[in-house]
Amino acid sequence: MLLSRVAENLYWAARYLERAEDTARIVREHTNLIVDLPVSVPVTWQPLLAITGTVEEFDERERIVGEADIIHFLVAERDNTGSVVMCVEQARENLRTTREVIPRDAWQAVNDLHLYVASHHLEGVERRSRNRFLDRVIADSQRMVGILAGTMSRDEAYEMLRLGRHVERADMTTRVIDVRAGMLMGERPDGIEHHDDVQWASVLRSLSALHMFHRAVRAPVSAPDALGFLLLDPAFPRSVTHCLREIAACVRRLPQEPHILPSCDVALNRLGRLSVGQITGASLHQLADELQLYIAAIDTRISESWFHADAGGEP
Amino acid sequence: MTMAELRTLTGTWDELICPDGSPRAAAAALVERLRALGPAELQARQDLADLDILAKGITFTVYSDGRGIDRAWPFDVIPRVIAATEWSRIEAGLVQRLDALNRFIDDVYNDQRVIADGVFPVELLADSVNYRRQCRGVRPAHGVWAHVCGSDLVRDHDGTMYVLEDNLRVPSGVSYVLENRLVSKRAFADLFEKQSIQPVDAYTDELYRMLCSLAPAAVERPVVVVLTPGIYNSAYFEHSFLAQRMGIELVEGSDLVVDGDDVVHMRTIAGLRKVDVIYRRIDDSFLDPESFRPDSTLGVPGLMRAWRAGNVAIANAPGAGVADDKVVYAWVPDLIRYYLGQEPLLPNVPTHRCLYADERRFVLDHLGELVVKPANESGGYGLLIGNRSTAQERATVAAAIEADPRNWVAQPILALSTAPTLCDGDLAPRHLDLRPFILSGRTSYVTKGGLTRVALREGSLVVNSSQGGGSKDTWIVDLDAAP
Repeated sequence: MLLSRVAENLYWAARYLERAEDTARIVREHTNLIVDLPVSVPVTWQPLLAITGTVEEFDERERIVGEADIIHFLVAERDNTGSVVMCVEQARENLRTTREVIPRDAWQAVNDLHLYVASHHLEGVERRSRNRFLDRVIADSQRMVGILAGTMSRDEAYEMLRLGRHVERADMTTRVIDVRAGMLMGERPDGIEHHDDVQWASVLRSLSALHMFHRAVRAPVSAPDALGFLLLDPAFPRSVTHCLREIAACVRRLPQEPHILPSCDVALNRLGRLSVGQITGASLHQLADELQLYIAAIDTRISESWFHADAGGEP
Repeated sequence: MTMAELRTLTGTWDELICPDGSPRAAAAALVERLRALGPAELQARQDLADLDILAKGITFTVYSDGRGIDRAWPFDVIPRVIAATEWSRIEAGLVQRLDALNRFIDDVYNDQRVIADGVFPVELLADSVNYRRQCRGVRPAHGVWAHVCGSDLVRDHDGTMYVLEDNLRVPSGVSYVLENRLVSKRAFADLFEKQSIQPVDAYTDELYRMLCSLAPAAVERPVVVVLTPGIYNSAYFEHSFLAQRMGIELVEGSDLVVDGDDVVHMRTIAGLRKVDVIYRRIDDSFLDPESFRPDSTLGVPGLMRAWRAGNVAIANAPGAGVADDKVVYAWVPDLIRYYLGQEPLLPNVPTHRCLYADERRFVLDHLGELVVKPANESGGYGLLIGNRSTAQERATVAAAIEADPRNWVAQPILALSTAPTLCDGDLAPRHLDLRPFILSGRTSYVTKGGLTRVALREGSLVVNSSQGGGSKDTWIVDLDAAP
């Protein structure tokens, strides 16, 4: 038994929490990458805006396109609904209205994170304290997921949280591939060493995928292997394939719904036909676009079928 | 380490300390502990309790500039103690009182014997703002209308415990009784171990059992829900808390829908699901836009139809507020005698009713020595405390009384009892009251103690959390229990 309104709040709480964690991770990794690479390699902070889909929003604010303003925008800005501080706040607000269905410890974990983020968010901007702040955001989000895994019954509310988490994760992995991998495979200035090994490792690391990649692939990081791992690996929890399968598994455990499973299948079939060795910059971008559309369609169906099913719900 | 000095106020009853400085019997162990710990250690425990409250997200909402702000619940770590022997007398008095009030409500919506017999004046009913003609002729289960009652008790200088008012509409505060106990157990774990302090946890089980007892007869496993006005309500924390503890759904008006057969359903991800009992925390006037305020977006259109048809039980029943009125209050001792044939076990505060010319004259002549209250305000707003008022405030109230005498009552100023309270690292006596909660369905139940509310400002008598009041854990200590 799960109220539609509560289901919607759970779904969005999970999405916001996952988004906070994912954004923290890409910011942390990008900071590390810039420290790692020689100054001769042209790396900027703008890709972070592209990954989070906030290029236009940032431009409207007429800020300086540099580290300080971009990181502030992504981490600490209250006026940006996708910033880490606002994602945590929205996750908490959504969970505050669903406390009767989640374990008490889970609420306390997100409340803790909220109190921390609300008072320390500026530390996430300063470079010397940035990692500590972002580590805490990532660790606390993971703590939350751990509490849910360890103490919450596998009921409809649990599946709704899991569903939100995997929709957001599939979305983020697709965006990272589109922007970061797209840049590495696109046209680049000649005559300088691009340090592709470092850059591809960084793409993997921004999804916490490097170690698992090494265990699965047992070869130096290359473009096709990295792409194959992030798109197709059935076992890695942030690969697009794994996320889509998780979404389908959640859907099977929720009240009957005719549209989402076929959407998942179409997306999985598309990935199944993929030959990673032949991907080019242009075809990668097209693939990422398609995946984004599938994910958006799944999200719309979730909302129409379970949150706002008034057509079928009115007596 | 310094010994804590426990001061009392002259002419005021203190809940922990006798006038000679010795502890009251039920508080002896606590007082010994307080003296041994000293103010610094007590402050350290207070700080831990405050952190605990913040981390647990125990909050209440206050309104400022039209915005609801979530505030940490104000809690004083030093408990208030009542002997179990005294408490069982109070319990019996509270049950007796609610029993009479329920018979009164059932009577005024049905046969009106109390009026025919000349016990209660008909004109009072005629202009009671909480009388709902939409409720005429309804017969709720067990004849009970007020299923959850929060009565405010105060103790005068001679130790007499009086009932100050009965809250029969949507009384709040019980969640803090349970939360305060959790925090207080951490602060004084050793005392809980060594003496018999009655546990308070049973309340939510008793509440759920009572709600189930209201379900329409044919329903075997009733679906019970808590209905909240939503997250911006000042008691939202409590609505959520009670739903959690009972393991039931917390619904908003928009989650419910009444069908053409006058049956209530909730909207779930698997479609509509029938609802049998609603513990509503929304005021009557917002409950159903078809019957009450048409502009209400918090309520459920058709809910009154479903209730009148007997398809759903509502607690408290619509219209129960007719007895939650500072004018009806003045008649409660008469109602107890009339309906139950018993003498009241708990005294009322003597109350002057401005409706009557002689009593009104007395009130207007003695404004400086009385507490004057509007009959239908809650939350401590609109109250005049005579000996602390200005001439201008008294003039304003006098004009209001002349304009609408029925809406005003007055009572002598009681010297509210005190208990030592931690204020800026020091122990000081602060005034307090007590709100126990009484349940009534097929059977009755009273909380073990209740919510002790304390006025944190020196000399203040206003205990409402919306106006700077705090709270304390309330210990019912059983001295006869084996250690």
